[in-house]
Amino acid sequence: MNGPASLVATAWSLHLPGIDLEPALTERFGRPGDWARHEAVPPDKAATVLGRKGMLYKEPATRMALCAVHRVFGVPAGQRPGWSPAPGTAVVVASNLGNVETVARVTRTIEAEGGSAVSVLDAPNVSSNVIASTVALWFGFGAANLMICSGAGSGLDGLALADLLVRAGRADRVVLVGVEPADPVATELFAAAAGQPALRAGAACVVLERARPGEASDAGLLVRFTGDSQLPDTVIGPGGFDPARHWGDFYGARDVVALALAAELAVTEGRQQVGVRGSDGQARQVLLSTVGSRS
Amino acid sequence: MSALIAASAIRTCFGDGAQTFAALLRGDSGVVPLRQGETAKLNVSCAHHAGTDDPHRPFRAGEFLAQCLADVAREAAVDTSRMRVVVLIGTGLRELSAVERWALTGAGFDVEQLHFGEVVRQALPGVAEVITISNACSASGHALALAQDLVEFGEADVVLACGADTMTQSMLAMIGRVAPEPTTQVRPFDRDRDGVLLGEGAAAVAVVGPSWTGPALGRLAATGLSCDAHHETAPDIEGISRSMRDAFDRAGREPAAVDLVVAHGTGTALNDSAESQALRKVLLSAGGDPLVTAVKGSTGHTSGSASLVNLDVALRCLAGGQVPPITGLRTVLPEADGLRFAVGEPVPLRPGLVQVNAFGFGGVNAVTLLEAV
Repeated sequence: MNGPASLVATAWSLHLPGIDLEPALTERFGRPGDWARHEAVPPDKAATVLGRKGMLYKEPATRMALCAVHRVFGVPAGQRPGWSPAPGTAVVVASNLGNVETVARVTRTIEAEGGSAVSVLDAPNVSSNVIASTVALWFGFGAANLMICSGAGSGLDGLALADLLVRAGRADRVVLVGVEPADPVATELFAAAAGQPALRAGAACVVLERARPGEASDAGLLVRFTGDSQLPDTVIGPGGFDPARHWGDFYGARDVVALALAAELAVTEGRQQVGVRGSDGQARQVLLSTVGSRS
Repeated sequence: MSALIAASAIRTCFGDGAQTFAALLRGDSGVVPLRQGETAKLNVSCAHHAGTDDPHRPFRAGEFLAQCLADVAREAAVDTSRMRVVVLIGTGLRELSAVERWALTGAGFDVEQLHFGEVVRQALPGVAEVITISNACSASGHALALAQDLVEFGEADVVLACGADTMTQSMLAMIGRVAPEPTTQVRPFDRDRDGVLLGEGAAAVAVVGPSWTGPALGRLAATGLSCDAHHETAPDIEGISRSMRDAFDRAGREPAAVDLVVAHGTGTALNDSAESQALRKVLLSAGGDPLVTAVKGSTGHTSGSASLVNLDVALRCLAGGQVPPITGLRTVLPEADGLRFAVGEPVPLRPGLVQVNAFGFGGVNAVTLLEAV
């Protein structure tokens, strides 16, 4: 499922609570710009970004995903997005453990007190797609909505499906989000099998549109799958700058964090070409390269 | 463009596809007392279990899925050494019952078992890619849409679109939480419907391109997708209608051409009303007069498998010229005024174009149009 070069990234964001990006990036790439000093609020403070209304019973993963999308579209802090519904915008979210804490908590409540003690407001949260559908609901994105739970490779699976959605005319624009929580349930389930490094909470978002090669409007960041031998010197992922070694493992969000980081390095830091190497068994590779100029 | 269905396999409370269709024609309900959890704690007394094994045993969804994959691989002569084969699995609850078991007993497991990569690669070694799409009750409809896109773009020779789901305590409790009394029978589109029951199940179809030379069961005209972006749990007529219109636009067909609708029909207050009104708005207002059937009164709600269970039934309607009645439907709900439902007895019909509906939690909608080869 490695289609032709068909996507441009028009915006991207990282939302990595409690992580100071600067030391590791400075050591490897030189001191980064202000984007790397952006403070990401933890899920319990998400209302300062998203506004207070609608926060009740929102999963930590959902809150981080909303924060990442909020930031990518430059919505002012504390405000809900004000634009009209976007029936041509699709949402693709990659996450594996987004709702396991709720599932475990609800199960323990049923066992101890019975189902009548469970809140119906948790009903959406026991279905894993709550993150993707909440992003759509919050921002009015009415095209296809996909929740990818494929494991470590979820993010690049999501990118491949975003590409497919655009090429198949199912969306004009895809909001790709990766998010993973690191609550005690998620952390313990992850650690039981995966070993080191530890699970780390975080979210990232990349907005993707159809590439129209040669058109000025597509000046920006071209995103395409490629062979490993064609990756440039700057690579995010195994064998390159591996975020997991510095900050912890974002698991289902891993590849989208890598994409957003690569986008900052390619465009904001002027490296022009950055590769992303997938770390799951399928090991896809992605090349991000700046094209033209957005004047 | 269009794609073909080379093979289809399902597992429901009745067994395989042939057994399920025979039960539907008889109007049987596969409802049994709930064997998972405790009725008193869940306020759920009935379900549609598949198989006869202990429903508390973990990773059963993957086992049902593997059975369906083996069936379609055999029937469509899928050879992963010669063909590029992609597997897309749609699921509502993945293997989250293992998380629940861990929460109560501490029984650990490999976190990668929450999705179906390993079980698929064991059942069908050599597949190129395995992707799990957790899209609630329309998950396998989404897998089907993407499968068609992939074969039409020539990026796979065969895409196995799948669905798999068993039950979780947490979802059962949510169903029980909103029901005044435990539901004992799913009554799709009935005025007196009182809620949904879960059904275990799995499904797989082999989607191939138009150049396929092997046997085929049906032609996929298109699947339309949309998201309501409206409400977390309440379906939206406009969002559902957009997925229907997307399907017709992609297929280049008119709504009036639909002869049969295999509806989502969960038997819940909100879904059946919204689905009925969307069918009236898109199909009837365009001059259509389709027959409408639904299976959940017999099979329960098979969640992520539901769309492909409906598709298997649609394929058998195309082949056999008989449409099963809706088990549990006695008096049609008022919002469905003007729609023609299959009630009581099988209806003789050899449909030209069949519409298959699937709508999920969070407003994720998938509507498929299918016709005879």
